[in-house]
Amino acid sequence: MNVPLKAIGQPVSRVDGPDKVQGHARYAAEFDQPDLMHAAMVLSTIPSGTITAIETKAARSAPGVHAVITHENAPRLPYAPMAKRPQVDAQGGDQLKVFQDPTIRFNGQPVAVVVAETLEQAVHAADLVRVSYEHADGHTTFDRARGRAPSRGNEKAGRPADTEIGDADAALKSAAVSIDANYVQAREHHNAIEPHATIAAWDGDHLTLHDKTQWPDNDRDEIAHVFGIKKENIHVVSPFVGGAFGSALRTWPHVTVAALAARVVQRPVRLELTRRQCYTSIGFRPHTEQRVALGAAADGTLTAIVQEAFGQTATYEEYAETTLDPARNTYACPNVRTRYRLIEMNTNSPCPMRSPGVATGMLALETAMDELAVALRMDPLELRLKNYADRDQHKNLPWSSKELRACYRVAAERFGWSERTPEPRSMRRNGHLIGYGMATAVYPSHRAKASAAATLLRDGTALIRTAGSDMGPGTYTSMTQVAAETLGLPVERVRIELGDTDMPYAPVHGGSITMASVGTAVQAACQALLDDLAGVVKASPDPRLAAFKAGTPEWRDGGLAGPGGVISFAELMEGLGFDRITAEGQSAPGNESKTHSSAAFGAVFAEVEVDPDFGTVRVPRIVGAYDIGRVVNPKTARSQCVGGMVQGVGMALLEQAEWDERFGRPMNGNLAEYVVPVCADIRSLDVTFVPGEDTIFNPLGVKGVAELGLSGVSAAIGNAVYHATGRRVREFPILPERLLMG
Amino acid sequence: MRAGGDIMRQAIRFRRRGRIVEVRDFSPRTLLLDYLRLTERSVGTKEGCAEGDCGACTVALGRVRDGRVVYEPVNACILLLGQVDGADVVSVEDLAADGVLHPVQAAMVEHHGSQCGFCTPGIVMSLYTLYREAERPVTREAVNDCLAGNLCRCTGYRPIVDAALAACEGPPADRFLAESETIRADLEGIADGADIFVGDDTRFFAAPASEDALAALYARHPDATLVAGCTDVGLWITKGMAAIDKVIWLGRVAGLDAIEAGPEALTIGATATHSAAHASLGALDPDMGELMRRFGSVQVRASGTVGGNIANGSPIGDLAPALIALGAALELRKGDRVRALPLEEFFLAYRKQDREPGEFVRRVSVNRLGAGDAFRCFKVSKRFDEDISAVMGAFRLALVGRRIASARVAYGGMAATPKRAPETEAMLVGVSLDDPASWEPAFAALAADFQPLDDHRASAAYRRTVARNLLAKALHELATGRTDETRLVGERPALQAAE
Ligand SMILES: Cc1cc2nc3c(=O)[nH]c(=O)nc-3n(C[C@H](O)[C@H](O)[C@H](O)COP(=O)(O)OP(=O)(O)OC[C@H]3O[C@@H](n4cnc5c(N)ncnc54)[C@H](O)[C@@H]3O)c2cc1C
Ligand code: FES
Ligand code: FES
Repeated sequence: MNVPLKAIGQPVSRVDGPDKVQGHARYAAEFDQPDLMHAAMVLSTIPSGTITAIETKAARSAPGVHAVITHENAPRLPYAPMAKRPQVDAQGGDQLKVFQDPTIRFNGQPVAVVVAETLEQAVHAADLVRVSYEHADGHTTFDRARGRAPSRGNEKAGRPADTEIGDADAALKSAAVSIDANYVQAREHHNAIEPHATIAAWDGDHLTLHDKTQWPDNDRDEIAHVFGIKKENIHVVSPFVGGAFGSALRTWPHVTVAALAARVVQRPVRLELTRRQCYTSIGFRPHTEQRVALGAAADGTLTAIVQEAFGQTATYEEYAETTLDPARNTYACPNVRTRYRLIEMNTNSPCPMRSPGVATGMLALETAMDELAVALRMDPLELRLKNYADRDQHKNLPWSSKELRACYRVAAERFGWSERTPEPRSMRRNGHLIGYGMATAVYPSHRAKASAAATLLRDGTALIRTAGSDMGPGTYTSMTQVAAETLGLPVERVRIELGDTDMPYAPVHGGSITMASVGTAVQAACQALLDDLAGVVKASPDPRLAAFKAGTPEWRDGGLAGPGGVISFAELMEGLGFDRITAEGQSAPGNESKTHSSAAFGAVFAEVEVDPDFGTVRVPRIVGAYDIGRVVNPKTARSQCVGGMVQGVGMALLEQAEWDERFGRPMNGNLAEYVVPVCADIRSLDVTFVPGEDTIFNPLGVKGVAELGLSGVSAAIGNAVYHATGRRVREFPILPERLLMG
Repeated sequence: MRAGGDIMRQAIRFRRRGRIVEVRDFSPRTLLLDYLRLTERSVGTKEGCAEGDCGACTVALGRVRDGRVVYEPVNACILLLGQVDGADVVSVEDLAADGVLHPVQAAMVEHHGSQCGFCTPGIVMSLYTLYREAERPVTREAVNDCLAGNLCRCTGYRPIVDAALAACEGPPADRFLAESETIRADLEGIADGADIFVGDDTRFFAAPASEDALAALYARHPDATLVAGCTDVGLWITKGMAAIDKVIWLGRVAGLDAIEAGPEALTIGATATHSAAHASLGALDPDMGELMRRFGSVQVRASGTVGGNIANGSPIGDLAPALIALGAALELRKGDRVRALPLEEFFLAYRKQDREPGEFVRRVSVNRLGAGDAFRCFKVSKRFDEDISAVMGAFRLALVGRRIASARVAYGGMAATPKRAPETEAMLVGVSLDDPASWEPAFAALAADFQPLDDHRASAAYRRTVARNLLAKALHELATGRTDETRLVGERPALQAAE
C-alpha cells in the first residue's frame, strides 16, 4: 500500500454484518452455561397496595421447579446506596427493591420468580402462584392538579422547575400576534425487537452476567451495590444488543431477580422478559402534556416563548426529562419562560427513549411554531429563519458549530418546499389531501470520560478493546475506522471487541455520546500505542531499526516511514521480538462546555397523504438535512437518520400505550396492538449531511446523530397533516379517529 | 394403536440440514421455535414477541407442490413442532455454505440492512423465500408484501428494501436450487400418507391423513383442539397459557385443502392456506385479492387457513364479512354427517359458532359474480399492513342498469360477530347510482343494523362514521368507476411515480 489511508468518512460496510446475517451474533439470552435453569416472573396485577398472602405450594411442587422466590423467603439484599448517574438514573426517590417487602407500587411489579429446569416448567409453575392483595388508593390517572416541581436532584441534573429570561407573560400579552395551545404526547414504549434478558451465573462470590445493556460498567456497579459485593467480583458480558433506544441504559430490577434466583438455586439462571413484560418491567417515554404560547411582532420576530410541561413519573422514583431545553435555546427570543411539573403515578418508572425529553419538547414547540406561522400568514420556514439563534441564549455561549441554515436550505431544496401552496386543503392528488410540513431538529451534544486499549499483534494487525456496547448504530464499525485511520492500517487489519467489563472503562452508550467519547478514546489509545512503539524503536539496539530513529516518527501505509521506505508493523514487531504491545488511551471532556454550547442540528420536511373518508394518513416522503459535525461513516450515519425518521412516523401516527386507568397498566402491551411502522408504511426517505467539523467540541470533530434523527420528525408530519386537512390534531399520535372525528 | 387410518406412525419426520430427523417424544404443545432454540440450540432464529407479530422467528419450510419444492416463510414461534412433519426446515444458519454468504445475505451486508441485527435472521429468511419464489422482476411492492410480517425498529426498512431489490435482480441461483432434486426425493421419501399419533389417549399430537380418519378420531376425542395453521391457537399457547393436551392437526388430511375453481362457483377446502387461496379469491374480484394481500403477513398467510379463520369466529376476522356478502355457504362434517348452512348463520354470538362437539369445518363455497353484480370490500386499519381491522365492510350489489336490484352488505368490527346489515340492504334496493341523495336512507339504516362498541381499538362513533363512509365509497366508486382514484390500492402506482 502506498496510498495514505483515509478510513474516516468512508462508507465502510458493517464489520459485524456477516455475523448478523448468518445468525451468528450472540445476544444476552443465547450464551451457553452448564446446567442452565430458567426463570419466570410473576407480576402484580394491581397498581397499589400490599400483598396479604402469596400461595406458592402448587408452584413449588410442580415438575422441574427448584425454587419459588417471593418477599417472604428472598434473601435480604443490602441495596447499598449509590450515587445517581445523571445519564441513566431517575434523580429522585429510591429504586425498586425486588422481593424485599410486600408493598405494591405499580401493576406489573415482580412479586415472585419461579426457577425450573425448563422454560416451559417455569412458566407453567409461575401460572400456579396465587397472590392476594389488600388494595390501597393509588394514582392511575394523569391529573395535572397533582403536578409538583422536580426535586433538587433533578434541578441539579438540568431539569429545572422554572426558568425565565425577560418577562415572557407580559411580552405575550402585548404581542402583535400570538398563539396558545396544549399538546399531548402519549406514553411510548421502546419495543426494541430483542426483549430484555439476563443470564446470571455465580461462582462462589463471583458473578457473571450476560445481560442486555447499553452500559456494561454501570450494570456491574449497580449489581455490586445491590448485593453488597465488590464490583471486581462481577463480570458483565454484552457483545451484542438487539436494539434498546434507551431501555437498556440503566439496570432494571429483573437483572437483580436473575442474579438472586441464580444465587438461591446455586446454578446459572436465565431470565428473559416476555414482550408483554417489557411494557412494565423496563421503562418508557413518559406521557407528557404541554402548553406552548408564542408571541411575535407582525414581521414574525419572536417576542415571547412560554412552554410548560407536565411529565409522568413513578411514585417510588422521580424521573424527569429535559423536555424544555429546546424552548430555551432553539430560537432567539428575549422573553422565555419555562415551567416543568411532575405527576406521580402508580406506574413503573419512565426512562429515556431515543431523543429523550427533546423529542417531546420539540414536538410541542415545533407544532406551535407552525401554528404561529399560520397566525402570521407566514411561511413556516421563513419564520424559523427569522428567529435563527446565533448563540445559545440560555447558556449565553456561542455554538461550537452550527450549520442549521445550510440544513434548512438543502432540505427545502431537495424536498421542493417552494411548490407548497400555503392554504390548508389546497393540495390534492387522486382524491387524497396532500400536505407539506417542516420542523427544526436539534439535540445537544455531550461527551463523557472514556478509555480504550489498543494492541498491536505480532502479525501487524490491531485489536481495540473497550467496555462500551453497540446496540446497533455501528460502534464496531466506526471504531474500526477511527483506529484504522489513526494507526494507518486498512480496516480489515483492525478488530474491535466491545461489551465486556474486563475491558477498559467506557461510558453509557446513549445520548449519542459514543462517537465523541469512546471514539476519541480509541483515537487516543491508538496514538499512545504509536508513541510507545516509537519509544521502543528508539531504544532498540537492532541495527535494522537504526534508520528509523531520527526525527518525529511518521506512521503511514501500515508501518513506520524511514529513509529507505516503510517498515511494516509486522516487521517491526518481528524486529523487536514482541508478541504484542498494548497502550491505553483516555479521553475526557475538556473546557469546551464552559466556553461553548454544542448541539447537532437538522431540518426535516415531510409530505403526507390523507384519506378524507377514513382519516388514515400515509407519509410518502421525508427529507432531512443534518449537521452532525464530521461524518465518520456515511452509511452508518444515514442509517441512524433513516431509522429515526421511521420512529418519528410511529410517534406521529401510530405509537401509544393505551392506558387503562382502572388497573393502571397499558392495555395493548404487545406488538399486535402497540403498532410500530411496518415496511409498507415507509416510502421515500432522503438524508443529506451538510459539511461541517466541530473540533472545538472534540478532536475528532464529530457531534452525534442517533437522537437527532428522531427530533422534529413527528412535528413535521403533524404540520403536514394540518396543511393537508386544515385540522390541527394536538394529541399525538394522530390516529385516524382523532383526525376524522376531532 | 389405531386412530382410524390404515397405517400409523408414532413419530414426526422432517428434513433438516440434509438429514431426515425423526422426533418421537415431544409435548403436543411444543413450538418449532423452542425446538430450534432450546432443544437443537440453533439460536440464530430469534424470538421477539412469541405472538406472530415481529417475524424475528421466521424460518422457511419447503414442501413439494406440483412436483417442485416450494419454500414458504412461517413464524416458528406460533407453529407447533408437529406441523413441520414432511417439510424441509431451513433456518438462518443454513443459508451460507463454506463461508460464502447467500445472495440475500450478501446484499443485506452491502446495503446496510442490519443495525442491531435482532430482526435480521427473520428478514433474511423472508427475503430468502422471496428470492426463491418471486416472479422477476421483483418490484418494491413485492418486497413490501414480503416484509409486512417483519418488524425492524432500527433501520427504517429502506436499506432492507434496497438489499432485497439488489439480491433479486437476476434469476435465483443458490445451493438449495442446485440440490432441489435431492431435497424433493428426500421429502417424497418421507411422505408416507400415514396417520400420525404421538402420545397416549390423554395427551397426544395426532395428524390424521384422511377425512374419515379425522372424523373418527375427532368423534372419539371431541375435547381435542383442532389445529389447522395454528396462527390463532399458537397465541393461546404462548400468551394464553392454554392447557392444550390433545392436538389434532389437520394439515395432513388429504383433500381437505382442495380448491375447486368451477365456472359457476368457487369451493375452498378448510385447510387451504390463505396463500393457496389468494389467487382464486382474487379471481372472484380484485378487492378480494387486495384483502388477502393485506391479510396478516406472508408468514401468517402461509400457515393460516380459510377454515381456521372462519371457525375461529373473531368479530374482526377479515374473511367472514367478505364471504358473507358474497353469499357463501359453509359445509361442516361430524362423523359421517355433512351439513351446509349460509355462512352468516354460523356466527351465533360473540365467539360462539354453530358447531357441535366433534364437528369440523369442511369447506366453504361461493357463487361467482354474475354479469350485473358488483362487489367491493375494504379494510380500515391504523397501520397499512399487518394490522387488525378497525372496521371492514363488504358489499355485493346486483345492478339492473344504474339501479340496485338487490344487495348483500356485511361488516366486521361493528358487532360481536361478523354480521349482515338487513335494514341497510333493504334500503339499498331500488336506489340509483346516479342520485347520491337517494343513498342517505341506506346510510341511516346502518344505525339500525349496528350498535358498535367503544373499545381501545376505536370508538363507536368512529366505527359508525367509517362504516358509513365505506358504503359511500363503494357506491361512489360504482357510480363513477374511478376505483384507482379513491383508494390506496389504486394509489400505489401514483405513489411510486412520486418517488
Ligand atoms: C400476526 C397475525 C396477523 C393476523 N392477521 C389477521 C388478519 O389480517 N385478518 C384476520 O382475519 N385474521 C388475522 N389473524 C388471525 C389468524 O391468522 C386467522 O384467523 C387464520 O385464518 C386462522 O387460521 P389457522 O388455520 O391458523 O387457525 P388455527 O389457529 O389453527 O385455528 C383457529 C381456530 O379454528 C379452529 N379450527 C381450525 N380449523 C378448523 C376446522 N377445519 N374445523 C373446525 N375448527 C377449526 C381451531 O380449533 C381454533 O379454534 C392474524 C394472526 C396473526 C398471528
Ligand atoms: S417471535 Fe415475533 S413473530 Fe415469532
Ligand atoms: S436491525 Fe434492529 S430491529 Fe432491525
